[in-house]
Amino acid sequence: MTAEEIYQRLQERFGDQILGFNAKAVDPSVRVAAAAIHEVAEYLRHDPQLQFDLLMCLSGVDYGPGKHLEVVYHLFSMSRRHKIVLKVEVPRQGGEVPTVCDIWRTAEWHEREVYDLFGIRFAHHPDLRRILLPDDWEGHPLLKDYQVQEFYHGVRVPYVGDPPQTGLEVYRTQEQEP
Amino acid sequence: MRQYLLNIWNAFWTVLVGMRLTWRHLFIPAVTVQYPDERWTLPPNSRMQLFVNIDDCIGCRQCERACPVECITIDLIKAVPEDEREASTGHKVRFHVTKFDIDMAKCCYCNLCTIPCPTECIYMTPSYEDAAPDRFDLIYHFAKIPPEKIPELEEKARRFEEEEAAKKTKKKAAVAAN
Amino acid sequence: MVTQLVAGEYHLSYERQGDDLILQMGPQHPSTHGVLRLELVTDGELIKRITPHIGYLHRCFEKHAEAMTYPQVIPYVDRMDYVAAMSMELGYVLTVEKLMGLTDLPERLQYIRVIMAEFQRIASHLLAVGTYGLDTGAVTPFLWCFRDREKILDLFEWASGARLLYNYLWIGGVMQDLPPGFAEKAMEFLDYFEPRVKELNDLLSFNQIFIERTANIGVLPPDVAISYGVGGPNLRGSGVRWDLRKEEPYCIYDRFDFDVPVGTGEFGTLGAAWDRYMVRVREMLESIKILRQALDQLPGGDPNEAMPRRVRPPEGDAFMRTESPRGEIGFYIVSDGSEKPLRCKGRSPCFTAISAIDAIGRGGLIADAVAIVGSLDIVLGEIDR
Repeated sequence: MTAEEIYQRLQERFGDQILGFNAKAVDPSVRVAAAAIHEVAEYLRHDPQLQFDLLMCLSGVDYGPGKHLEVVYHLFSMSRRHKIVLKVEVPRQGGEVPTVCDIWRTAEWHEREVYDLFGIRFAHHPDLRRILLPDDWEGHPLLKDYQVQEFYHGVRVPYVGDPPQTGLEVYRTQEQEP
Repeated sequence: MRQYLLNIWNAFWTVLVGMRLTWRHLFIPAVTVQYPDERWTLPPNSRMQLFVNIDDCIGCRQCERACPVECITIDLIKAVPEDEREASTGHKVRFHVTKFDIDMAKCCYCNLCTIPCPTECIYMTPSYEDAAPDRFDLIYHFAKIPPEKIPELEEKARRFEEEEAAKKTKKKAAVAAN
Repeated sequence: MVTQLVAGEYHLSYERQGDDLILQMGPQHPSTHGVLRLELVTDGELIKRITPHIGYLHRCFEKHAEAMTYPQVIPYVDRMDYVAAMSMELGYVLTVEKLMGLTDLPERLQYIRVIMAEFQRIASHLLAVGTYGLDTGAVTPFLWCFRDREKILDLFEWASGARLLYNYLWIGGVMQDLPPGFAEKAMEFLDYFEPRVKELNDLLSFNQIFIERTANIGVLPPDVAISYGVGGPNLRGSGVRWDLRKEEPYCIYDRFDFDVPVGTGEFGTLGAAWDRYMVRVREMLESIKILRQALDQLPGGDPNEAMPRRVRPPEGDAFMRTESPRGEIGFYIVSDGSEKPLRCKGRSPCFTAISAIDAIGRGGLIADAVAIVGSLDIVLGEIDR
């Protein structure tokens, strides 16, 4: 099934929850309202003609300060050999998207990663913790307006100022002192 | 019971098969190299330590821009016309390179800096035994101009610029007067 | 709204029940192939739950990439999966080319890419197979595999100048053409290497002790594998005939004749650790087949004919996945029309493989945890990126 047909099916089924279709892009993509993503995903997964059984990639995108964030779902059907891209717009502050990790289990970790690096919360996610960064890290690094926190456990990040003493230097100074 | 015995027999037999192989390997010359005594011959285009032939450097900063890890730092002073010279490739050298530092601890040996160089003065050499007891010994200084000469050169460049500016204003004044 | 989650599989917080013991395996554990911490909840000898903790090698290459021009990202991509750097480069480069619409590439370049990717597959599988032997207690195959892997690295060094992190495949070209005589040397290596695979089989694969150790543990059913997005040899070990080189041929893989080995379950359960291991061994033979054809047909010419001087893709986004030795490596690149990517995401195969470890290892023995992790062939550099 081509992306166009999939879009038409989705539009018939969900009406105004489907916000647009970009057929000219390298990978044709469908815009979906954030609130409806779970139903759309479930339909795509279980409809006998669609059967999108593989979530290839789930990524967050930041389009720069003042603009929106985006969650992108790359779906593929191993039985039907077709693919589609879903895009969900999320506001910069306090955005929330329903999780799809009960449909594709791979989404669990990918959503954790998006939460970790972009701060997008996923509603009803069973285990929404930071995954790559330490639990007590501040901020979400892949946002374009991310400010690195000044101190982490008493260590300045990133390091500025004089280069730190190396072990050898410390050793030498200790040797000289009586 | 029969299966049990068969399993034991299988285990013995397959171990014996493996042992026969290892036995045969006893008589095959070793592939290991006794490193400090023997050395590999490296292919001529091996990418190991960076080297800069500073006489040919024209101070175009192409390598600094190409470096993905920012391990090259270059400081330049504009040369006055009488100090300009020619590199061995025929390029005009219009700058005094007062600082050409490569932090080998940061260098990732990607070879991206050597490609844009117009005079091919920065290249990778097949030398790899460059361990240093201190981290700061890994910052290689390639510039040849002694630091005490730098203020003199700066003064020269400044004076030349002033003269040029004065010439320009004179010209302008002359044009305006006409 | 959200339906109920899969019954009994998820717990938000674990409550200790009875005599449960929580065992921390890692971060510095000899058999976790990097710095990975597994939190095992055990009941006696049995594992009740595995929670992997990752991120010890995290350096956020995606943030770095946003400050780099497209060619400058390639050294960073190398360091994702540092034992299969060529495959990572190939995935990234193909994605940028897809975004740029660069399709008209010289024949020789296409062949060089296939040759490099397949040699890298053999090298990577040798490491996987060798260290798996080490995980289960066999030291000799590890040394033998590394001996042969070094020979491939020699070939790589000859071609690109580096042994591990190559920065060789570029957007629309390669760093430098193959040196003269490369095809003959490569053929020589293949002739040498093909009997070694049989040796490896005699030594390790069909060793009864090894089979007993691995043939019934860590069973990954195919539907679970697909749901978790596990790809590559791990998925094929479960009996799913799915190889992107066949299903979605990129480069020129559709010209070559090769098979896709899948797990058979001949010594135990289908989808067990031994099947995943054996798929890798058999894949090396298939790679040899591809390499022989590619080296035979290697055309002349200049591989860098179509290399763009400036890489400046038009506005838009593209996702492309390729078959790396560890599974499906995907790159998602968003361009805003400038020289630097707006977003560059690597979808790493090991990331999904390790996320499935709970589904695979639950109910097994503690002693098998190492064998299960080893059979997934993970590289932490790629998980943490």
